[in-house]
Amino acid sequence: MAHTFAQAWSLVARWYSIPLLLLVWQVAVASGFVESRLLPGPGRVWTALVTEIGNGTLVYHASVTISRALTGFLLAALVGIPFAAAMARSVLVRNLFEPIFFIGYPIPKIALFPVFTYIFGIGTPSKIAFTFIECLYPIVVACYFGFRAVQTRLVWTAQNCGASRSVILSRVILPAALPSIFSGLRVALPVAIIVVVITEMIGDSIGLGYYITIWSTRFTFANVYAAIIVIGICGLVLDQALLLLRRRAVYWQREGA
Amino acid sequence: MKINSATIQNWILPVAALVAWEIFGRAGMLPRYLSFPSAILAALWELAVSGELFVALAASLYRVSTGFVLGTVAGVIVGLGAGIVPGIRHFFDPLVSFLYSIPKIAFLPVFLLLFGLGHASKIAIIAFSGFFPVFIASRHAVLSVNKLLVWTAQNMGTPQRKIFFRVIIPAAAPQLFSGVRIGLAHAFVVLFAAELIGSKVGLGTIISSGEEWVRFDLMFAGIVCFAVLGFVSDRILLAVRAHVLKGQMIGTEEQVVR
Repeated sequence: MAHTFAQAWSLVARWYSIPLLLLVWQVAVASGFVESRLLPGPGRVWTALVTEIGNGTLVYHASVTISRALTGFLLAALVGIPFAAAMARSVLVRNLFEPIFFIGYPIPKIALFPVFTYIFGIGTPSKIAFTFIECLYPIVVACYFGFRAVQTRLVWTAQNCGASRSVILSRVILPAALPSIFSGLRVALPVAIIVVVITEMIGDSIGLGYYITIWSTRFTFANVYAAIIVIGICGLVLDQALLLLRRRAVYWQREGA
Repeated sequence: MKINSATIQNWILPVAALVAWEIFGRAGMLPRYLSFPSAILAALWELAVSGELFVALAASLYRVSTGFVLGTVAGVIVGLGAGIVPGIRHFFDPLVSFLYSIPKIAFLPVFLLLFGLGHASKIAIIAFSGFFPVFIASRHAVLSVNKLLVWTAQNMGTPQRKIFFRVIIPAAAPQLFSGVRIGLAHAFVVLFAAELIGSKVGLGTIISSGEEWVRFDLMFAGIVCFAVLGFVSDRILLAVRAHVLKGQMIGTEEQVVR
């Protein structure tokens, strides 16, 4: 009994801030302290969320945004991981591409988005291509360090036991680099969502970014907040899915964070 | 000789790309919207002579630096607090874990209405988006400080305040800086989007007006300035960190990246 009470109390102590904030929000709106057109109360946001999910609008725009983000992200992972392995293993590849990735890393690539819209058009292809580029950098950099940090004596031991090159790659090098690969993927995933929403806000006719822009120009902020909540939930779900995948793949190591 | 050939390999792709861009662009074999490097340099010169460049640069720099500093300071203070005091941690953790996965730029329409089209709305949204990575890094850094260090200091009778400044802060500093670096990257992304969506001056505005007037050389001039600004700020941050963390960089990834 005391145990369950302590558990319940720790649950309250951990999560009280969200209901508290909702309460402050409601009181501020109800007392007229903030203009309710700019900040509609939690009740109205909830109504907007339920109706827009119910009539399928938010579901449609969210599916557009998420499919774009995931396509760009997966392409970046498919290209980036083998590429990072090649950079870690071959001196020539490393010398050729190191400056592009390490000097290019801190350059804000978002500035190039207008060029992408000219090359790929304003719709889905330019968003996917741009997400691909933005995700490629963190994935390649993290995986590159992961592959380089594989201990040489592990490779030697495998060679000594007569393992072939492909076996060494798939059974020694890849598992040893897996934690770094996943940390790169975990950095890249929110980047993918952020980039898709931003580019949709800059110019598109579908997607959650477009939805936010269009409803804010109509001053219907309840819908804007509803879309923001949907983005937050999608981000949380995708991150948890990636963590689950990591737990399956890197079963011998618990994540620190 | 070995170093020499590595250097050549380092430069070969970027230089080849630039040369090919120039040759094919001049010959008109590339689409017009790609322009070419010498035309972009000419456009940069044109912007510099008319003074337009410096006005835009000053506006963008003012927004990004003020927003970044505000967000970072708030993130460090609240993050350190959350790392040390469980009450603060329990208040902010659920909020941050929900808000972190939302692109902060989604709040831009709200910020534009609250703070207007001028500097204030950009500064506010840059600070808002910079807060989160810095908060998470500082909170995590304090929690992962080796407890033995703190216990040792306590054992020797060090007062609380001194433990905070002489043990916890130095031990947490490397992780703290990596959060600040992510915050800086976020600041530039948000700056660009905010200037493109609603602004009258700034580098983003040069880019969008270059598009409007079909002056692609001007558009690229803006893009180049923006990229250089982002790159240089990151290098300045790395230099500051190298100065602050003298001797703490050995064996870290960043030492390899330079």
